[in-house]
Amino acid sequence: MAMIEVQNLTKRYRDRSAIEGLTFSVNEGEILGFLGPNGAGKSTTMKILTGFLPPSQGTAKVAGFDVFEQPLEVKRRIGYLPETPPLYPEMTVRGYLKFVAELKKVPGHGRKAEVERVAGLTGVTEVMDRVIQNLSKGYKQRVGIAQALLGSPPVLILDEPTEGLDPSQRADVRSLIRGLAGKHTLILSTHILPEVTMTCEKVLIINQGKMVAYDEIKKLASVHGQAENVSLEEIFIKLTAA
Amino acid sequence: MRTALAIARKELSIYFTTPWAYVVFTAMVALSSFFFMGLLQTFQEVQEMAQAVGWNKLPEDLAAYRNLTDGVVVQLWGVVLIVTLFVAPFLSMRLFAEEKRNKTFELLMTTPVRPFELVLGKYLGGLGIISATLGLTIVFPLLLSAFGSSSSGAVLEWPTVLLGYGAVLLWGATCMAVGMFISALTESQMVAALLTFAVMLPWMLLRGLAAGVEEPLRSLINYLAFDSQLSNLIKGVLDLKALVFFLSVILFSLLLTHRTVEAQRWA
Repeated sequence: MAMIEVQNLTKRYRDRSAIEGLTFSVNEGEILGFLGPNGAGKSTTMKILTGFLPPSQGTAKVAGFDVFEQPLEVKRRIGYLPETPPLYPEMTVRGYLKFVAELKKVPGHGRKAEVERVAGLTGVTEVMDRVIQNLSKGYKQRVGIAQALLGSPPVLILDEPTEGLDPSQRADVRSLIRGLAGKHTLILSTHILPEVTMTCEKVLIINQGKMVAYDEIKKLASVHGQAENVSLEEIFIKLTAA
Repeated sequence: MRTALAIARKELSIYFTTPWAYVVFTAMVALSSFFFMGLLQTFQEVQEMAQAVGWNKLPEDLAAYRNLTDGVVVQLWGVVLIVTLFVAPFLSMRLFAEEKRNKTFELLMTTPVRPFELVLGKYLGGLGIISATLGLTIVFPLLLSAFGSSSSGAVLEWPTVLLGYGAVLLWGATCMAVGMFISALTESQMVAALLTFAVMLPWMLLRGLAAGVEEPLRSLINYLAFDSQLSNLIKGVLDLKALVFFLSVILFSLLLTHRTVEAQRWA
């Protein structure tokens, strides 16, 4: 039984469908890279997996629990970073992380330590007592990642985690993500293709709501009839050209 | 339950570290002080008139000014009710609308928080801030008690004063409940505030409509109007019917808010 199982996932709005017939699975400890042009449906899929939006059709299961039928169980096991980090501008970093730890039901006595731990992992320890709205974009993004890590959830869903970070910060996040693999199951979406090759084993390319590629990175080139050494970028552009 | 308290604490911390609450405090204190002065002035005038001509020579409605409780405090509570109606929307508007604006609503919906805990937590936070706002007005009876003098017994009838104050708090709680529901309906805080105001003010003045309609509609309107429900409570009369009325409005608003939050799951 895979950690994340999605079958025929569809989300329709009145005049269009955001995603259509998505089927994929992620095994425990794997990292899946979610690629696609803007508006392809990556964020929508993530919002459905985390229980924020209901699907129009199809099922999504996390750790065996159906996202629609047992949302609370799913939410207990997920750490989620949405496209826009969900920050309260008026709070301090420490106050914010403590609050999210409470929301995630991190037990009281370990909360302080847990907050310090995720702050250390994401490099925000120096700004713990600053008010969030005074932070730079890079710090804000890292606080967003930190909140997703609180409670050490088995599944992490990160929507564009390196958005707004400078190259060295990106490298830090990449190694953080690599360090999480094995113990955690990850889905991350990004535009930055080199990052996918550096961190993910499997890749799912989505275009206009439909899956256009879903395979291990190594196999992707041969499956799509290209020469062995063609880059992910070229495959991406070719598959999303429509 | 603990999550609800965590949410309540967070709301209060944001209220007290941003300007809005302090603006509301200032408005409440300024307006109620202003009317307090006016009431004291009137009280003094009536007392002087009474001393000159005697109480039986004065018109009926001035009989209230025989003592400080009915003459000043009860009427002050009436003023505070109106001020609350004006300022509560500015406190309740941010309860849900701001979450949607900040994109933190997604955080609340993707963590293991039950909608009922969320609604309860936010309402408790709202109750906290409105109680703090209204708490400022207790200074007036205290001032009267300290500096006033009476020819017979205590300066103020504290049971009446406190029951009236309880009514004021109940009214504040009702405004916050309705305001919170409306805040859950929109992303814009301004729209939430204006809509709350647009709902509460006519509801308060509904009795004005009653004169123009026939029975049984007239009794219904009279029953539903906030004004009529509050009138006894303010005077210190423990009117259980009114208590039940306001508690019902509060519960109904909380229920509607819960439904609205749940609806996100079925979007």
